[in-house]
Amino acid sequence: MNKTILAAIAFLLLMAGATYLAVGGAGGMGGEGDWVNKLAISGAVALFVITTVVVVKFVKQMQNDTASGKLADENWDGIGEYKNEAPFGYSVIYFGLVVWAIWYMLAGYPLGSYSQIGEYNKEVTSHDKKFEAKYAEKVKDPEYLKEMGESAFNSNCAACHGLQADGMDGKASDLHERISAESVKYVINNGGNYMKTSFPGGMPPMLLQDPVQIDAVSNYVANGFKADDAAGKAAFAAGTCNTCHGENGEGMPMVAPKLNAMDPDMVASVLKDGKKGAIGTMPAFNNLTEIQIKAIGAYVSSLSQK
Amino acid sequence: MFHWLEKNPFFFAVAVFVVIAFAGLVEILPNFAQASRPIVGAKPYSTLELTGRLVYIKNNCNGCHSQLIRPFKSETDRYGSYSKSGEYAYDRPFLWGSKRTGPDLMRVGNYRTTDWHENHMRDPEEVVPGSIMPKYPWLFKNIADVDTAYAEQLTIKQLFAVPYNKPLPTADGSTQTVALADSLDGAHASALEEAKVVVADMKDQAVKDAVAAGKIPEIVALIAYLNRLK
Repeated sequence: MNKTILAAIAFLLLMAGATYLAVGGAGGMGGEGDWVNKLAISGAVALFVITTVVVVKFVKQMQNDTASGKLADENWDGIGEYKNEAPFGYSVIYFGLVVWAIWYMLAGYPLGSYSQIGEYNKEVTSHDKKFEAKYAEKVKDPEYLKEMGESAFNSNCAACHGLQADGMDGKASDLHERISAESVKYVINNGGNYMKTSFPGGMPPMLLQDPVQIDAVSNYVANGFKADDAAGKAAFAAGTCNTCHGENGEGMPMVAPKLNAMDPDMVASVLKDGKKGAIGTMPAFNNLTEIQIKAIGAYVSSLSQK
Repeated sequence: MFHWLEKNPFFFAVAVFVVIAFAGLVEILPNFAQASRPIVGAKPYSTLELTGRLVYIKNNCNGCHSQLIRPFKSETDRYGSYSKSGEYAYDRPFLWGSKRTGPDLMRVGNYRTTDWHENHMRDPEEVVPGSIMPKYPWLFKNIADVDTAYAEQLTIKQLFAVPYNKPLPTADGSTQTVALADSLDGAHASALEEAKVVVADMKDQAVKDAVAAGKIPEIVALIAYLNRLK
């Protein structure tokens, strides 16, 4: 046994001892240690052994090896080199890299030009296609559209209108009723110039100025155009509300929204344009798709149908 | 040349450095110079918005809310279009955040409004059932620090040439200007003008009274900041 082997064994013992001390004696390897601990220690031991064996191998080779093989013709300041075969593993890796490099140049990064945004666009396109294929037929069923609207409502609108669409104590409008008296009053006083998509003309403010008449119209509209409310009906006509909104609030396409029922067109317009009303401002929801807008319109309209 | 370099290790090292540095310049700099420019439509923060930004930082909102929308469909559906680097040009420091305990706020101004923020800051659970966000009642009482915001504006204007009082391009081809007052009193006055616009949509009478009396509660500044995140 020579010095190198002795040194290696001493090193191994030293490291094993150090490990044993470091992990707390018997606690590490014994019955108390858990399997993660044991695994880590086995790994450490394996590392010592492999390191030692490899080092010993090459140290011995340096000590004992003699030159052999055929020398190449060239030499540099008297230092030559052997004409050894390229190791098999190296050759495999080398040719593998050549193949990979060709792929990389032509299909991989530089020419195929990967980009995160490109991938995002692909994701969106493929999603839209899948969506179209899966739902294009289904949304023609009004019940299904309503259901879809409910889930779109829950993720986009419920933050303010509440999961029950009741406006959470007046923080947003209660969608179970078409319009509140307070909102009618606000629109009469301030006009209505949102909803540009569906009703580009808007509505001028101050068509009625007498507070009694304004109250009458507000209640008349909010209560759903009751036929026996003569005062309301008269005030509604006096303010020329009926010219655009219709005798019973049935509305007029592209001119004025329905007042007697929630109108999907109007909902769509509010979603696209946003709105400022008696309660506050509602932002536009431009991230919704056409189908989602339609679905939300269907769902919201269904809420106030008695 | 090579022969000479091979015999002079120092100059060889210099030459290697030059070659690698050149590759780096060609590869990295053009894109970097482009991406770090303000995007069209970006504008520096006005005095009240910057005050609100300081409130945002002071209350460590960025500990739970990110301001960075990644290019995934699930994110852009929820938060709006993905973030571009030029949008952060006037953010010092940027508030990307590193963890979303709450939702991203990069474009919160697009889908939340003044009255919503007001309700939400006073009691998040009132508008978001099950929310784990704490209440922030002191925002309604504490008076916002406009002085620091103005000092910051002056500093970044001089040090980083942030274009206050200069026409900036917008997406539709017109220009917009963010004004910077030339005195502290002027800054207070312009912040108060902005605050009046925000407060017009608020319900809290104490806050309205404070603004009417010329003071700006932190909530007003914070909402001004959140409303401009678009």
